Amino acid sequence: MVTKMRKREARKGLLISSTYLIYAAIFWGYPFVWLVILAFSRWRYVGRPQFAGFRNFLRIIYDPIFWKSFFNVLNFLVYYIPIVLIFSLLFALALSKLKYGKTFVALSFLVANISSGVAYSIMFSKLFAENGPLNQIIYKLFNTTIPWFTSPQLAMFSISLIVVWKFIGYYGLILYSGIISIPKSIYEAAELDGANKYVKFFKITLPLLNPSIIMVLVFAISLSFGIFTEPYMITGGGPMRSTLMPMMVMYTSAFQKLDPTYSATMSIFIAFFSFGIIWITRKLFEREVEIV
Amino acid sequence: MKKLLVILFLSMFVLSFAKTTLVFWTAPNPNQEAFWKKLVAEYEKQNPDIDIEWTTIPAAGSSEEAILSAIASGRTPDICTNIFSGFAAQLIELDQLVELNKLPGFNDLISVRKMENIIKGWEFMGKSYVLPIYSNPILMWWRKDILKEYGWEKPPRTYSEIYKLSKQFVVPKEKYTMRVVAGRNWWDRWFDYITYYYAASEGKPYIDLKKYKAVYNNDAGIKVAKFFETMFKNGWTAVDLGNAPLYNGVILASLKGPWEIPYAENQFPEVLKNIEITPPVVPDDYPEKNPIYTFADTKGLVIFKSSKHQKEAWDFVKWVFSNPEYDRLWLEMTKMPPARGDLLENKLFTEFFNNNPLAAEYAKYVAYAVPPALISKTVEVQDEMTYSLIEPLMYGKSDAESAIKESIKKINRIIW
Repeated sequence: MVTKMRKREARKGLLISSTYLIYAAIFWGYPFVWLVILAFSRWRYVGRPQFAGFRNFLRIIYDPIFWKSFFNVLNFLVYYIPIVLIFSLLFALALSKLKYGKTFVALSFLVANISSGVAYSIMFSKLFAENGPLNQIIYKLFNTTIPWFTSPQLAMFSISLIVVWKFIGYYGLILYSGIISIPKSIYEAAELDGANKYVKFFKITLPLLNPSIIMVLVFAISLSFGIFTEPYMITGGGPMRSTLMPMMVMYTSAFQKLDPTYSATMSIFIAFFSFGIIWITRKLFEREVEIV
Repeated sequence: MKKLLVILFLSMFVLSFAKTTLVFWTAPNPNQEAFWKKLVAEYEKQNPDIDIEWTTIPAAGSSEEAILSAIASGRTPDICTNIFSGFAAQLIELDQLVELNKLPGFNDLISVRKMENIIKGWEFMGKSYVLPIYSNPILMWWRKDILKEYGWEKPPRTYSEIYKLSKQFVVPKEKYTMRVVAGRNWWDRWFDYITYYYAASEGKPYIDLKKYKAVYNNDAGIKVAKFFETMFKNGWTAVDLGNAPLYNGVILASLKGPWEIPYAENQFPEVLKNIEITPPVVPDDYPEKNPIYTFADTKGLVIFKSSKHQKEAWDFVKWVFSNPEYDRLWLEMTKMPPARGDLLENKLFTEFFNNNPLAAEYAKYVAYAVPPALISKTVEVQDEMTYSLIEPLMYGKSDAESAIKESIKKINRIIW
């Protein structure tokens, strides 16, 4: 009797989860198998892929453009992570202090996140152009202009500012949910012990926000390896390949240089790197937080 | 059995009346679209058994990407225009294109259009896979109204004259002499360095196709690079010149193709009246009597091997290109010189050129317009040219000679 029931339950479970399993098989399993096949093949869209062993992997090791794009991601991370973390945290703290209009403010910031990447990239490229409105103001005030996207040193910083603008609302809401889940009683106890607002922030809020901060960090790192629209639309990877990102290298390799198998191999490398950096980040910064 | 026979007969009857559908892709350009729309409708009217599914090349980063995606997903059109020579070379390597010279009436068509010389520039191992449909020389547009204000009755011809004009005209951060670099996309090299190189070298190749080596490290190539270096170093040109700088008077000159004429007619008709067209500027020692060569932005039409209706596709192509009236219509609608050897002699076009002096300037230079190198690695080569040659000169990271040397070394590594 019990076995029968178990079998019936198992069937039900399988039936319910089958939607996901079928979805995963089509949209994850099939592309994954195809990716592995491509990485070990030589194929140019036509005919059957020819087995190429580790040829594509070896090519990557000696490909300066790929490595340039990889180091560009690290460069992007150096700008992006601290700026986005600080501004998202400030946004979350401000939101938690607001008495009225929280939803309106939160939604206003989220508009950036749901905006079309192509549309705002064009907008920013006009806004930050050498003789765009922003530079015209700077020129009138200081008699100089800032080469936002035309200087190899500044271009990545400018792009990271745009991505920060896009994600402040999104990450801010994650941090905000972390802030409001901290029990008020902890702050009250600290106040009784004479803690001022800085002590409360650094000794209570920040440590207890660790899971949310780590989550934001994980999101930010994976985003950095997958960034495409902004550099593609605004700088095209230049100047001097300073904003060339791995996704752009993969894209041009697959669709302009007719080399999809090499792109597939690059994507495997990039996946490993991004997982690696996420793993290191978690090992270094993740703390177990228990709110009793 | 009887029923089966009736069904069979009926289906054969229906099939005999079914239309042949040709999928035809053309360049996403409003003027070309208007032309093809008209012609496709005309052909369908004359050939009721043919249905042409005509669309512009689907939206993607570039036509090449859209076509490749179509090949990969088995949705290749029967006929496609807007194919440049380097991409054609890639498609031939992939064995995707029909050998046109084997199709009936090919030689007659070439002879009617007097295209014998033009078609040679598109041959791959002696075979023709592409029918060139237009050839756009890249020429220099000048603001003659502003030039006159500075005492220039004639636009500058040489680099030194450009420098002289720059000293008169340029106001840092506000006004620059000309656009020197077209952009940082790989195809932008066609419209800057390669154009100036052809002009300086009397149309010499930048890639030696016999030795498979980049060869622009010669006197002409170095002079062009030095010109770029000088212009950027002195702030006489800039990386970013803003929107429509020529029309807004921010610059005095820019290289442009004939497609710019209909655009300017619509957007800046008043400025267009003050435009003078000349060949690209040349080094100081370039003989005044010699003609100046330039780059030819030339595109062709192909029929894909995957087409089930190659005969019908070729019939349509022949119908379009064997009637010179359609070439005149093309000229009127797009202002782009059709790929014909008799463009300046044929009376059919004379009237058009008399009424369209700017388009006539382009027609004059068709004979001196040199197509890009026929290599399948155009994207890689021109991308490297951007990175190793153009950008170092733009940002003052290298001098002309070192940039040429470095780019030659890297490009040879790509194509060798």
